[in-house]
Amino acid sequence: MDAISFKVEEGEIFGLLGPNGAGKTTVIKMIIGLTRPTAGTMQICGIDALSSSSQVRQMMGYVPQAISADGDLTGYENLLIFSKLFYVQRKDRQPRIKEALQWMELTDRADDLVKHYSGGMMRRLEIAEAIVSRPRVLFLDEPSIGLDPASKRQVWKHIKRLNGELNMTVLITTHDMAEADELCSRIAIMNHGRFVASGTPSELKHGMGGDVVTVRLSSKPDLALPLELGKSLHVLEDSIDILTSDGETAIPRIASFYKENGFQVLSMSLNKPTLDDVFLKYAKVRIEEEESYSQARQSRRSFMRHAR
Amino acid sequence: MNSITRFISSSLAVAEMEARKIRHDSTELWTRLVQPALWLLIFGEVFTAIRAISTGPYSYIQFITPGVLAQSVLFVAIFYGITVVWERDAGLLHKLLSTPSPRASIIVGKTLAAGVRGIFQAIMIFALALVIGVNLRFDVLDVLGVFVTIVVFAMCFSSLSMILASFLKTRDRMMGIGQAITMPLFFASNAIYPISMMPAWLQSIAVYNPLSYGVDAVRAMILTGQYSNLPLDAAVLGGFTLLFLFVASISIRGMVE
Repeated sequence: MDAISFKVEEGEIFGLLGPNGAGKTTVIKMIIGLTRPTAGTMQICGIDALSSSSQVRQMMGYVPQAISADGDLTGYENLLIFSKLFYVQRKDRQPRIKEALQWMELTDRADDLVKHYSGGMMRRLEIAEAIVSRPRVLFLDEPSIGLDPASKRQVWKHIKRLNGELNMTVLITTHDMAEADELCSRIAIMNHGRFVASGTPSELKHGMGGDVVTVRLSSKPDLALPLELGKSLHVLEDSIDILTSDGETAIPRIASFYKENGFQVLSMSLNKPTLDDVFLKYAKVRIEEEESYSQARQSRRSFMRHAR
Repeated sequence: MNSITRFISSSLAVAEMEARKIRHDSTELWTRLVQPALWLLIFGEVFTAIRAISTGPYSYIQFITPGVLAQSVLFVAIFYGITVVWERDAGLLHKLLSTPSPRASIIVGKTLAAGVRGIFQAIMIFALALVIGVNLRFDVLDVLGVFVTIVVFAMCFSSLSMILASFLKTRDRMMGIGQAITMPLFFASNAIYPISMMPAWLQSIAVYNPLSYGVDAVRAMILTGQYSNLPLDAAVLGGFTLLFLFVASISIRGMVE
């Protein structure tokens, strides 16, 4: 981790984006006191997080990336134990648990063992666990990782409701650009333990300065692109993404450039930059590629953990 | 709530969590009874019959019952670290340690849960001993004393196990180390033969073995009724337990970093 500095405003959903290994989880672990930073200061709601971490933890809810609900207990029991560990007063416990279950739409499954839950339900239960203590800040580490698209949308809906109706400040880490675009009012992109860009999603997209032209070609576009045509964002086996200031006029110029150099242009498309392109610019890897690469690395890592 | 009540309530909540799990699935408790039953029924009966080990005025099976009880609790406790490794791999440990509850209270809660399992073992082993006609003193205060001893004893070895877990970090290694230390602890103690029968070098090890003090306390209460050693037993066992709890509360941090 390099030196980083950021401020999350009350009531917003703040997203930490970055490829795996960028340091997103480490930032969260430092804030909740699982890892100690070697230097620096940290304040949460005006309280020094390094000297009074127990007080800070009282105000925070944390949902780790891995499955953290206890499968051998029922959903209700998970909530009960965590309400006790957060010192929710006895008289408040039952109403809060009931409410958290209703919020997360788990009331009818409350008495089933969690190991029989689906992935999406487990995630919702974990968020329910984090909210029985009425935290002021909620930390969600990759909230939708490993979920199918429908469960993902449901989790997003719940996160938005918590933020909108209970006015909880939410900090999420993600490497899912759609998630960041959908949820976050502000984001910061991390790479190699430092911040490389931050702002609102639309600021970042506009900040790209122009349009993205995608050209599909008959063979790999391995020649350098003249600067006046635009900036090469990403080169694949048979296509190239070009960032250009004025897409409409650039298209014919780009097409003739490739024709002159002996390429056959199969198709061209013009798009407004997405968060994905922003990410690409700063993190230098496209998310989908990163995905397969990081998955391979992740399975390798868990293998290593066993071998260690 | 002041900090002491908060500490106690957190510990109890963690212990309750474990107890509720046992209530949902108690298979493990029952399978854990196979081994002590074999020790009593086979080893105990055979050695009683051949009178190979002199145990003073008591029959060998009377002598060995407290030892077998302590051994079975030791087994339950020493593998407790594996549960913690499992919880770390799953992410549950991170979540427990991110609550405002003090780390030490989480550790104490987990070791208390080991104590609950220990009490279950004690009840079942006593029941078995009664069935096969082992003559023991079942005075109410003595039995309560045994339960307290068993809980402290289980806390002692389960916290030791958590210290090991926070350094070894994998289930496989924990299995290995569990196997590697339970038997030496068991044999270098007064569980199945009196310390006076051991060769001198083993005697000098056995005096530093907390297991011996646990067995001695249980034996005094349930068999001999001679309480003169109890303060020493309590001091040694309690001392080790506090030390291990303290170290485990610090070392557990290494598991989530």
